[in-house]
Amino acid sequence: MRLLASYIRLVDRLNFRLGRIAMYLLFAMMAILFWSSLSKIMFRPSLWTLEMAQFLMVGYYMVGGPYSIQLGSNVRMDLMYRKLDSRQKAWMDGFTVLFLITYLAFLLYGGINSTIYALQFSERSYSVWQPYMWPVKLVMVTGIILMLLQSLAELARDILSLRGHPPPARPAPIIAGSGNGRGEG
Amino acid sequence: MSYEAIAILMFSSMMLMLLTGQRVFGAIGFIAVISAFFLYGTGGSELGFTASLKLMKWYPLLTLPMFVFMGYVMSESRIADDLYRMFHVWMGPVNGGLAIGTIGLMVLISAMNGLSVAGMAIGATIALPELLRRGYDKLMITGVIQAGSSLGILVPPSVVLVLYAMIARQPVGQLWLAGVIPGLILSLLFILYIAIRCRLSPHLGPSLTGPERDMPFREKLRLLQAGLLPLFIFAAMMVPFLNGWTSLVESSALGAVCAFLVAVWRGRMTRRVFEESVRKTLGITCMFMWIILAALAFGAVFDGLGAGRALESLFVGQLGLNPWVIIILMQLSFLLMGTFLDDTAMLVIVAPLYVPLVKALGFDLIWYGVLYTITCQIAYMTPPFGYNLFLMRAMAPPEISITDIYRSVIPFVGVMVLMLAIMMLFPELALWLPDRVYNK
Repeated sequence: MRLLASYIRLVDRLNFRLGRIAMYLLFAMMAILFWSSLSKIMFRPSLWTLEMAQFLMVGYYMVGGPYSIQLGSNVRMDLMYRKLDSRQKAWMDGFTVLFLITYLAFLLYGGINSTIYALQFSERSYSVWQPYMWPVKLVMVTGIILMLLQSLAELARDILSLRGHPPPARPAPIIAGSGNGRGEG
Repeated sequence: MSYEAIAILMFSSMMLMLLTGQRVFGAIGFIAVISAFFLYGTGGSELGFTASLKLMKWYPLLTLPMFVFMGYVMSESRIADDLYRMFHVWMGPVNGGLAIGTIGLMVLISAMNGLSVAGMAIGATIALPELLRRGYDKLMITGVIQAGSSLGILVPPSVVLVLYAMIARQPVGQLWLAGVIPGLILSLLFILYIAIRCRLSPHLGPSLTGPERDMPFREKLRLLQAGLLPLFIFAAMMVPFLNGWTSLVESSALGAVCAFLVAVWRGRMTRRVFEESVRKTLGITCMFMWIILAALAFGAVFDGLGAGRALESLFVGQLGLNPWVIIILMQLSFLLMGTFLDDTAMLVIVAPLYVPLVKALGFDLIWYGVLYTITCQIAYMTPPFGYNLFLMRAMAPPEISITDIYRSVIPFVGVMVLMLAIMMLFPELALWLPDRVYNK
């Protein structure tokens, strides 16, 4: 049980840190697109901006994904789920999170193959800028691995609470008066 | 097993999986990858990841974080407060006037935002408590806020129309313009409904009394200035876009930068506001992107099974129905599915099946986009599954129960169904504006 708890703490903290960094990619995307529109109006359009923004977006939701799970942002259809008590919820979650893990495992499998392909053949994007594809695929694979780690941590949480141990608290940003650190969406 | 049977099996197991209450994207993605694996063997196991590459190329979705961020900047920094006060003072003296004003507020917020999140947040935190305090009927105003905020996906800019544009391969600019007039008519219908209800039973929405009503006229005029803000942000986004100076995603970034700067200029961008809006933007964007990712994989398997062609042969060939009957049946089926399934996932899974059929029947795809969006709006508010319902539940004050929230949408859903009928009778309402702008 101690092992599970420290695993949860470790993964939570890792994904919290990385997720917080990914969160600010929003401004990088904004800056690139802003630059793109300025350069288009003032002199000539840049070739790299749109694709670069796409790559950042991938990093944003892939690496930010585990943090969004921590925040509880991912909707559930809770017609029945809502009526369960916390113990039943833990049972249900502990079971159904395996679906999520299966899905992510398939994603990872495809991702690794695709990345190996991109590295082997120096795959480039079909565009004027022609960037290499492996960096963005590597980011995707990293994001999927982090998602897997986080889902396993969610499973560990359910196991802990079913065994009667309160799972460790989730990390939260230290900012005065920023609510309870959970998104409402 | 025949392909049709597999398709039905996939669909029903997705339904079952969703009912377990697991995160929506996990449930949908699981069905997608498992069916791909069993149908296509090891080659099928990469299908899940292929969807993520496809999603990356759907670059118009870059507008999603931008619009969500804009919305949160507006609701968290409360720069919309003045806007609310403007409607409050101007509409207050009429019976039900505050509710009518709230609809007006929602239209303006929708013009600065691509989803219903911002309207919902502003409605639930600013308008709802005020209206309750003034003795407005809680069922009515809960419905007003849910219905009003759903205009966010019909009035441009709209993320749902961007998603539809990707699937149907139609120009976003025309789709957005097509949403303008229907959006305004729909808000007028809401207003009409409120006005009639409150005329018949004034206790539902008592008019303002006392000092608030006797505000000097100059003061009232000064409040009108608040309306300039949304106009400015809307123009900063739409003028460069419609003139072709900037692309869609660039315009959305311009809008986000503008909203951010306005909040800074007003001195409302505190650390707390910054943190909340940035974090919630990540949460909402991740939620939608992961659902779309899973739904794309699901849609790919579904499409591979030939579900689209099966549907077409069923409707056109075997049943031999009139095109209009088919359109109505399609909307009905979408409404039915929209109540139980995730609305975004529905858009991604069902639209690719329906769009070719609509095209084959000879209907205009821009017009259908608007029809689709209104249907989507209804799906957002119908229990048990709807984003607006979720948001309302998370944000509403405790005296509003879940039953209240569910019951409150009924009359507004009725109004929206009426709007669907109007759109079918008069397609020009959607098509006139894009025609005027693009075919000069």
